Amino acid sequence: MFNDIIVQNFSNPTHATELLQSTDTIELGNPVCGDRIKVQLNIQNGLIQQAAYAAWGCATSLATGNVFCKKIQGAAVVDIRNLSKEDIDKMLGELEPAQHHCLEMLHNLFAKFQQITHV
Amino acid sequence: MQQQSTTKTLRDLGIDPLKAAVASVSELYRLPQEKLDAFKAELIIDSFRFHYENNCYYRDACNDKGITPADIRSFDELIKIPLIPIAKFKSASNHELLSKPLNAIEHEMRSTGTSGVPSISRRCSPTIDLAVSAIYAMYREFLGISKGAGLYVCPSTEEIPEMGMIKALNMLAGLLDTHRFMVREERFIPEDAIAQLASWEKQFTRHIIGPPFLIHRLLQFLKQTGQKLKLDNGSMVITLGGWKRFTGQMISRKEFALLCDEYLGIPPCGIRDIYALVESNVMAIDDEHQVKHVSPYVHFSVRDMNDLSREVPAGEHGVLAILDPLALATPGMILTEDIVSLVPGESPSGRSGQRMEYIMRAPSSLEFGCCAVNLERKMDEDEKAENSCPVTA
Repeated sequence: MFNDIIVQNFSNPTHATELLQSTDTIELGNPVCGDRIKVQLNIQNGLIQQAAYAAWGCATSLATGNVFCKKIQGAAVVDIRNLSKEDIDKMLGELEPAQHHCLEMLHNLFAKFQQITHV
Repeated sequence: MQQQSTTKTLRDLGIDPLKAAVASVSELYRLPQEKLDAFKAELIIDSFRFHYENNCYYRDACNDKGITPADIRSFDELIKIPLIPIAKFKSASNHELLSKPLNAIEHEMRSTGTSGVPSISRRCSPTIDLAVSAIYAMYREFLGISKGAGLYVCPSTEEIPEMGMIKALNMLAGLLDTHRFMVREERFIPEDAIAQLASWEKQFTRHIIGPPFLIHRLLQFLKQTGQKLKLDNGSMVITLGGWKRFTGQMISRKEFALLCDEYLGIPPCGIRDIYALVESNVMAIDDEHQVKHVSPYVHFSVRDMNDLSREVPAGEHGVLAILDPLALATPGMILTEDIVSLVPGESPSGRSGQRMEYIMRAPSSLEFGCCAVNLERKMDEDEKAENSCPVTA
């Protein structure tokens, strides 16, 4: 049911924590299933120094939060803004139909990132 | 001479005691109470040991309370088993509840409740095997249905596939000859439901299935329009979900029964309410006397609201703790937020085991009601919007 990316990120959620100091917050929810992801960011001088999340919902949602934070932490804002749809599509691996709403949530996280870092 | 363990005897024969239990619901209800309690305790003690050994979060919680499997040896000691508050299933750290790796999980089921935060319960394949057998065995024991038509006054699993309540009701459809879901895209049209019932007349025994508030809407419509239906001998009204409306108003079970009798022609013995929780594999289903029987292999421990380490006597209200040995992927030792009482005395139906009465959701709970309440709120908002005056200025 769960691919290796989901198993690894769910079972070892390296970014499931709370930042005491953050510069930005991204929050999104899926009104249909109730899944919710909240991401805190600490961005300094165009660099994402820290990214942390809390998620409520299915295992794939929880893993999605970690995949997003893992991808962006330590990266330059400009590099994340330049990620293509195809790059994002691959991040969660092959999903079952019932898990596809999480890919939508991942795209929404990147879309919200674009909004908050828009100059 | 020490009595031979029943579970050991079964295992020696190559039979899984849990599979034997869920397949033997009728037989278990006919055991003397003491024997049933002893068998149930063996299953729960095995389950406690498994989760203690395989779940770091639960083991730490047990160790904090100074409880190990060595402390739980008999039915009377089940009260010492540490409980997981049901809110943990909603928390961002609910991954800690797994006693098996994620790749052993076959199914995730949810209940959104009314707080908006979903409660997620994860089941491995062996748990699904048990739950499926258990649900059908309970349906057969208390509903005895194997044919007929089901008017489902609720959305389909196609619309909300992960919703536990709908999933459990949908399983009942497998026992029927035909069925139809009457709530589509959050809309229920009573006239369509009545027409559907009419189209099945003299072809099928007609049953009405769904959460109480939606069936209550149908009954109110029949009352307001003065239509009295006479369903069939053996027709049932089968309800699952809370009896509280989104307005906070409770639907009176007595009034509901009177309406079913008058407007559907179904007497009280044909009304069967089901209590279930998505986080557990337990079901408690009304018998013909409207008394709910708890699945015989699950233990309900009703705790004092002021001292959760203490049980209250049968007949008194308390917080429900569930000890569910069928839960293999996550610990089935759960402290719910439901206020219930156990029914004292002997069952008029002759069954042994526990019987319960649901009282209400605990006032301290963040959840106002079950997920059906959200549906009702949404339907009510949509209807108000449709009926409102379109002139805004």
